[in-house]
Amino acid sequence: MLIQPPSTPPFAATDLPGSATPRAIDVRHVSKSFHDANSVFEAVHDVNLQVDRGRFMSVIGLSGCGKSTLLRIVGGLIEPTEGSITIDGLPPKAAQKQKSIGFVFQDAALLPWLTVVENVEVSLQVNQRANRPRPRGTDELLDLVGLLRFRNAFPHQLSGGMQQRVALARALVHYPSILLMDEPFGALDELTRAFMRYELLRIATRTGKTVLLVTHSIAEAVVLSDEVVVLAGPPGHVREVVSIDLPRPRDESIERSPEFLAYASLLRGVLKLS
Amino acid sequence: MNRLKSTTIAESRPEPHPRRLDRGRPPDVWPALLAFIIVALFWEVAVRLSHTPAYLIPLPSAILARAVTDLPTLLPDALVTLGEALGGLFIASVVALSAALVMSRYTWAERALFPLAVAVKVTPMVAVAPLLVIWLGFGPSPKLIVAALLSYFPILSNAMTGFRSVNPRALEFLRSLDASSFEILRMIRVPHALPYLFSAYKVSTTLSVIGAVVAEWVGADRGLGHAIILANANFDMTSLAAGVLVLALLGIGLYLLVAVFERQFLFWHESVLSTEVYQ
Repeated sequence: MLIQPPSTPPFAATDLPGSATPRAIDVRHVSKSFHDANSVFEAVHDVNLQVDRGRFMSVIGLSGCGKSTLLRIVGGLIEPTEGSITIDGLPPKAAQKQKSIGFVFQDAALLPWLTVVENVEVSLQVNQRANRPRPRGTDELLDLVGLLRFRNAFPHQLSGGMQQRVALARALVHYPSILLMDEPFGALDELTRAFMRYELLRIATRTGKTVLLVTHSIAEAVVLSDEVVVLAGPPGHVREVVSIDLPRPRDESIERSPEFLAYASLLRGVLKLS
Repeated sequence: MNRLKSTTIAESRPEPHPRRLDRGRPPDVWPALLAFIIVALFWEVAVRLSHTPAYLIPLPSAILARAVTDLPTLLPDALVTLGEALGGLFIASVVALSAALVMSRYTWAERALFPLAVAVKVTPMVAVAPLLVIWLGFGPSPKLIVAALLSYFPILSNAMTGFRSVNPRALEFLRSLDASSFEILRMIRVPHALPYLFSAYKVSTTLSVIGAVVAEWVGADRGLGHAIILANANFDMTSLAAGVLVLALLGIGLYLLVAVFERQFLFWHESVLSTEVYQ
């Protein structure tokens, strides 16, 4: 199916009225400690992040550095011990109520008794009061993620990469203003992973969505992002923020460019230090 | 192997549109029936060769013949027992499922109530049944209660595990959309509990039949338990065995009913998918 270039990016959140539009994601002095019977574990320490609307930010770091915890704090699944988060000017819990958040996890976590299209529409089934008018239907979204042919298939009939596409569509169908992704391709094989990287690039570009991606793949971070945050830890703290000034639109050839390699080795160096 | 390929690598072909209720195949009964016939044949031959009298061990062929001739009385008895068993099972389901809902949600409720449930479960119902008859008389209520008491525990225990056996990422996803507890219950907890519940009902349906029969032994004027105890009093072993046969068929029927529903509703679950892959 061929879609005419739309005037507004499809599946983008409509802008809020008001003159001073707040940042899409604003994280200020966020710390998180987990308390145990006789010990305290600090997972995140004094993190500041600002993501403007329509920008793509990646958070990279070694395993266990607190990046997934940080993402869950941003999404309102974990309460921070200190600091504040706003999403479009709202605290995460309020953003959840307005269905402003789209989450994708490493595990697609589809409901195995529902078809692809039903799995995607799970997002519309819950908290229906907050549903927005949808300029485009579910099938158009399935077409965008390349799954329209499989709309009536069940998850067990799909490969890992296809399941992750369903999870992506499920995170977009309610027109959230931000997309939070926790190592979405971490469980995929290397070839599928490299392919999905460019699928996400295409989908993120088409939807113009604000994205916060947690990954431990340097290539993924450089190819997709406007900014890459290197998190060191535990406790997770920002080691460095690197702007990726590679021209858009980007495609597979980017990974052979000297600029890409320079960013990759820069990030590798920063990661080694941490 | 071909099956395995076709169900996992779906990219290469357009997906047929599976109707969810067509997906489970009915269980194949022929192997089981054949096994039954072989056992019955051995029994028949052994009894005939050893000249064992019918008041000790009746012949399978005689039992079958008696079950057929006595059907006009056995069938109403069977319906009475079936009604009592299903009624007891219904009571057990209502109590156990609502208790499991509360106990899977609140740990304090589990800590308070689960030991009680275990204590009731381990009490021998054969010993309690006479008491219930003294309290409640010869009507259907003691039968319902004994059937419920015998069958509630598998439902309670499995439902609790089931309501909790939810993919944590799916739970986080729904929470990120501010889904209500009821929506989470309806959309993921109950469906995730279904495999556990079907396992429970396979055990509980048969237990409820046992419960109804045990209560009938203690005091009843109809039902299969009554028919069996009467045959026993008359030293009519063939009639007793015919009653037991009908009772067994009742249990098997209920079990098969659960198994058929299981295959229909769990087409997506590993327990059903694995049998499709390896056959």
